[in-house]
Amino acid sequence: MEIKKIKTIDIIKEKRTVSAEAKQNHKEYNKIKKLILKSLESEAKTIPQIAGETKLPPDVVTFYLMTLRKYGSIETGEIDDMDEYFSYKLKK
Amino acid sequence: MEQQNELSFDTLVIGGGIAGSEAAINLANLNYKVILVEKDLSLGGKMIHLSKVFPTLDCSACITTPKVSETIRHPNITIYTYSEVKNIVKVSEKKFTATLVKKPRYVDEDLCTGCQECEDKCPVVVKDQFQYDLVGRKAVYVPFSIANPRVVNIDIENCILCGLCEKVCPVDAIDFTQEAVDIPLTVKSVIIATGYELFDPTQILRYGFGKFKNVVTAMQMERQLVPTRPYNSVLRPKDGKMPDNIAYILCTGSRDETVGNPICSQICCMYSVKQAQLLLGALPMADVSIYCMDIRAFGKGFCEFYQQAIGMGVEFHKGKVAKITEKENGNLILRYEDIEEGKIKEVEHDLVVLSIGVLPNPDAKLLFNNPVIESDEFNYIKQIDELLCPPETNIEGVYVAGTSSGPMDIPDSILSAGAASACSANYIRN
Ligand SMILES: Cc1cc2nc3c(=O)[nH]c(=O)nc-3n(C[C@H](O)[C@H](O)[C@H](O)COP(=O)(O)OP(=O)(O)OC[C@H]3O[C@@H](n4cnc5c(N)ncnc54)[C@H](O)[C@@H]3O)c2cc1C
Ligand code: SF4
Ligand code: SF4
Repeated sequence: MEIKKIKTIDIIKEKRTVSAEAKQNHKEYNKIKKLILKSLESEAKTIPQIAGETKLPPDVVTFYLMTLRKYGSIETGEIDDMDEYFSYKLKK
Repeated sequence: MEQQNELSFDTLVIGGGIAGSEAAINLANLNYKVILVEKDLSLGGKMIHLSKVFPTLDCSACITTPKVSETIRHPNITIYTYSEVKNIVKVSEKKFTATLVKKPRYVDEDLCTGCQECEDKCPVVVKDQFQYDLVGRKAVYVPFSIANPRVVNIDIENCILCGLCEKVCPVDAIDFTQEAVDIPLTVKSVIIATGYELFDPTQILRYGFGKFKNVVTAMQMERQLVPTRPYNSVLRPKDGKMPDNIAYILCTGSRDETVGNPICSQICCMYSVKQAQLLLGALPMADVSIYCMDIRAFGKGFCEFYQQAIGMGVEFHKGKVAKITEKENGNLILRYEDIEEGKIKEVEHDLVVLSIGVLPNPDAKLLFNNPVIESDEFNYIKQIDELLCPPETNIEGVYVAGTSSGPMDIPDSILSAGAASACSANYIRN
């Protein structure tokens, strides 16, 4: 008979509670992630374009977009004619 | 807290930066048994995060990683990362006792392969301290790509206890039952290599760091200049624009009584000259200006390195920046006194780098219980005979290596670690 392995997460859950700040941060990230990914569904965009469309501050878009790029959901596209802004697109 | 059996070594090296690694390897090569305790998740100190080094422009990671591997592989060196020592007491000649505290990573380091499957699935994102907050990381994370040991850590404060990491780990390495462990320690000598801290530029409100997103620190710029950079290129954090007119403000938090650090940090002039040259390589169309009181190019090849920067087109302006204001487009207006012309000027740049200074690490003083370790007037570990035996501290058998005793560059840190290891060997042997 197979013995059911105890998950250590269940043990720590009995001792620790998740802080309100950690919960809020997680909610915030999910919200921003959805907005950025949705904005890129139609076409590749620059950070100011995404910020304009989602109404998120551009520095917030930079931070989360670069994080999504780091974890492989987004890739870098072309740079514009003025050599100023790169566009970013969803990774297929 | 769990207790473990006592450990015994010849030398305890505290701090696994370049100075600590060098000191440990030297002693281990002489057949002494060394315990190296590093507070952070990886060995390598600040150096492992740098781009290239002045004045040779050698790749910093390419020099640090073999040194770190040599330290880890050495049969005479036992390493504890994510650990600290406390309560060091000199019991008698050649006998120090201490407590080693091993903090929980919530992962079995022997099982974890660093595959990052858990990191991929973790739903939490927070600021990545190893990219100096420019990008995010997960709550379960490999510290950085060349970290050693390359195993994950769980940031329990930000973890939402969803259990996904444990569910997906192919080798069952996640272990939420881990707790801090106290291990009693006995050694014959101690080397302090706890390094330096960086000046926090939010202390200088008029530079707007934190508020103006296109004002960054030199350490953030180091990260932007490495292949494992947080962005796809050198970009402005505010809006992802490629900068083309960059300013450096030297002596940010150094030679400044108003922030309590009157001394020169010794490295900022040269790392700024280095970064300016690297930026001109990365962004060939960009202009780079350096605002300074003067340039201190005192080391071998430093003056030539400075001249090389001038030759490449880096502009040097003599003057201290009084204030930065931000325009709507994220550009920054620097108000400064041009000392040579005796005029107040305002100039516009699209990215400002603060060449932040070096501060003493206050940790070092807290490690010792009896006797206490003395510090100098600037709060670095006091060298009791700076001219004849620089590594000596007020406690016989305790030596200081690298930037724990004051600001210095990498070659000087290595040299000082060599001296500390020689003193330590001498003390144990005699
Ligand atoms: C932006 C920038 C660029 C630079 N560029 C160059 C360059 O191009 N060339 C050059 O020569 N130098 C450069 N430097 C300087 C260089 O970083 C230092 O000379 C060198 O890192 C000093 O090494 P260290 O081992 O003394 O200290 P650190 O690198 O600070 O290492 C200290 C180690 O001790 C650990 N530690 C701290 N407290 C404890 C504790 N209580 N217990 C256990 N461990 C502890 C730390 O986590 C760290 O790993 C630069 C510095 C900066 C800020
Ligand atoms: S904990 Fe498991 S899943 Fe995570 S990196 Fe280590 S081996 Fe991979
Ligand atoms: S339990 Fe914590 S670390 Fe693991 S996946 Fe969930 S949030 Fe991330």
